[in-house]
Amino acid sequence: MQKLDILNGNKAAAIGAALARPAVIAAYPITPQTPVVEYLTEFAANGEIDAAMSEVESELSAMSVVTGASLAGARTFTATASQGLALMYEPYFRASTLRLPIVMAVVNREMISPQSVWGGQQDSMSVRDAGWLQMYAEDNQEILDMVVQAFKIAEDERVLLPINICFDGFYLSHMTERVLIPEQEKVDEFLGVYQPKHILLDPQKPMAVDPLTNGGLLMEYRYRHLQAQQAAIEVLEETDKLYGQAFGRTYGGAIEQYRMEDAEYVLITTGSMSGAAKEAVDIQRNRGIKAGLVRMRLLRPFPQKQVCAALKKAKAFGVVDKNVSFGWNTGIVYQEVKSALYEEHLCIPSVPVIGGLGGEDISIRMMEECIDAIKKAADEQKSSETIWLTV
Amino acid sequence: MNTVDKLASLKDMISPGISACTGCNVELTLRTCMKVLGPDTIYAVPPGCMGGVGVVGWDTQSGSHIPVFFPLLDNVASMLAGIKLHYERIGRKVNVVAFAGDGATTDAGMQCLSGAAERGDKLIYICYDNEGYMNTGYQRSSATTKYSWTSTTPVSDAGSGGKRQHRKDFPMIMAMHDIPYMATCSPAFIPDMVAKLEKAMEASERGLAYLHVHNPCLTGWGIRPELSIEVSRLAVETNFFPLYEVIDGTFVINKEYKEAKPVEEYIKQMKKFRHLSAEEIADIQGFVDQKWNRLKQLAAL
Amino acid sequence: MELKSKYIVPVGADGIHILNTGDWRTQRPVLDETKCIRCGRCFLYCPVNSIRKTEKAFVISYDYCKGCGICAHECPKEAIEMVAEEEKACRN
Repeated sequence: MQKLDILNGNKAAAIGAALARPAVIAAYPITPQTPVVEYLTEFAANGEIDAAMSEVESELSAMSVVTGASLAGARTFTATASQGLALMYEPYFRASTLRLPIVMAVVNREMISPQSVWGGQQDSMSVRDAGWLQMYAEDNQEILDMVVQAFKIAEDERVLLPINICFDGFYLSHMTERVLIPEQEKVDEFLGVYQPKHILLDPQKPMAVDPLTNGGLLMEYRYRHLQAQQAAIEVLEETDKLYGQAFGRTYGGAIEQYRMEDAEYVLITTGSMSGAAKEAVDIQRNRGIKAGLVRMRLLRPFPQKQVCAALKKAKAFGVVDKNVSFGWNTGIVYQEVKSALYEEHLCIPSVPVIGGLGGEDISIRMMEECIDAIKKAADEQKSSETIWLTV
Repeated sequence: MNTVDKLASLKDMISPGISACTGCNVELTLRTCMKVLGPDTIYAVPPGCMGGVGVVGWDTQSGSHIPVFFPLLDNVASMLAGIKLHYERIGRKVNVVAFAGDGATTDAGMQCLSGAAERGDKLIYICYDNEGYMNTGYQRSSATTKYSWTSTTPVSDAGSGGKRQHRKDFPMIMAMHDIPYMATCSPAFIPDMVAKLEKAMEASERGLAYLHVHNPCLTGWGIRPELSIEVSRLAVETNFFPLYEVIDGTFVINKEYKEAKPVEEYIKQMKKFRHLSAEEIADIQGFVDQKWNRLKQLAAL
Repeated sequence: MELKSKYIVPVGADGIHILNTGDWRTQRPVLDETKCIRCGRCFLYCPVNSIRKTEKAFVISYDYCKGCGICAHECPKEAIEMVAEEEKACRN
């Protein structure tokens, strides 16, 4: 039977990682991720996990240690946030181009300047094109479930890519919720053992990694990498179903749809803000407004077909971004959604919204106003200027 | 067994026909090290001369006969630490080795190496120190000797310039990490190098073993190929690069000369120093003497 | 799309080759066996591992010898002489 516990998001992530029995863990503490490292070292000290722990001197080394361990054939886990992710960038990019199924939690935190330790999704979204899979969780149960599932998705032979499970700093990392913890033996059965065939450093099977390579071959590797990214959508959906069969919880795959059956005004969100957005949808529905919500669970690969299918009947949509896209006067997810819709000639009015930067709250009331703005855009058949919540 | 017979009995782990410069003593160092380390070895070659000469690769013929990979310039020790942790955990004895230039070691990769040394990661880290970024045409590094011409510390038409600072004493920095084994090596002293590799293999069962090899660069420094070993030897005979080891904290000097040769004999062998004034040579001599005296004191403890 | 590499990641030796470094040579080391004392210094210092120890002697292979001259310079008995590669120079 699954055990019910009261967990903050960091502990949910740590327990999820522990359930996957990684062989090597390396992490460097940074607010708001620090407790993840503390929980894992505590589990190891108590003999609850059998992982080799490396208390590295920086995030650069955290990512490098797990890269090395993964090359040697180990299942690995790490976690970081914000500046730590930025410091990791060099080996971060390399982990994906070596097709190493490393799982890393990103506890989303704003990027400096100004100095800020609070939430914001600028960190992970800024590295969305470094070849990793990226998923965003809404609550602590989803954090735990997705960290477990992440290993299965990443290690699938059709994928073989590293994956980020991202969740909002403080809102999720430090808030407690009821969380069901799956049984260890059932997780063991669900995940199996990682046995790499595509890349391995082992004297019994000499292999060289990364010879100086010409552009022609490099393009082949990139081609296959993009194919694997696309394959991850199907693998994610399969994994979601299998997880549901084993543990009774499913999340709908690449996107979650909330009251979307006949929705005309669609709000699109990522992460923990979706809770407030769902409340706002309910309130607007009570007013007779056909509002609905699409929550982006998967950002990389971008689930273009799923988003288009969900928005097929919408009259207008709006995207609330907890980040900015420098160079566009909008957030990042907004541009991604617009780009996806172009593929199927869906040209409907839209509303870009930016809010929640540096830990600012996004209230239910604000989400209601976003839906009002989306309805106005539909009525006027005109996209809106970017709305800055709380500015 | 003497060193000649020992090396003759060991397999060369590197294929012939790699593109190191004619007479390159780093190629000699690499082949010697990998013969001694043997088949149960995984090694990392970061960007640098040896990364560029075609040893990172394998197809049963070309490249390396043991697992080899490119780490990044700045994460050599950390990637190796991850590999070693895995093999330790599953109980397999594998030499996990860095073969890295001074740029990857004393500059960009220093933080990772220092971290691995402090944590006691069970690695063998070999630094081939050719005093700069030689693979890209000799840019200065923190290992470059003071007054040396490099492409980023040029010498003016009037004959003045070169690097403005003394080199970082990296072997001593590593020794002060209190690792189980630290040693300096020279390609001119192969039996000494082989013995130190064997000690490093043993010490790496307890923590990080560090070998710092001084490799005068023929192409970058302006040395005739046949003098490759002679100049390497002069670096030792002048006390410019003393051979010593630190075994569990105890300093042992391996080559001590009744009368060390003046450092000028070493300096005059290469083009990169040909602009040096008598005062500048005296400054380097003073630096060498100071370092040597301190080493003597440490060895007397 | 037809792909050339059988790998999904950069492993193996795509892109590296054994060079015919013997072609680089402008001078070749020639050993005078009568002067050789079998000390093995030429073998220890050969950067390309082109000198082999046999039961009775040291043998120089010219397949990959780059002609650096270290063996000749380091020989304590001047038993190795560097001889110009005239034939090659003419051919080129």
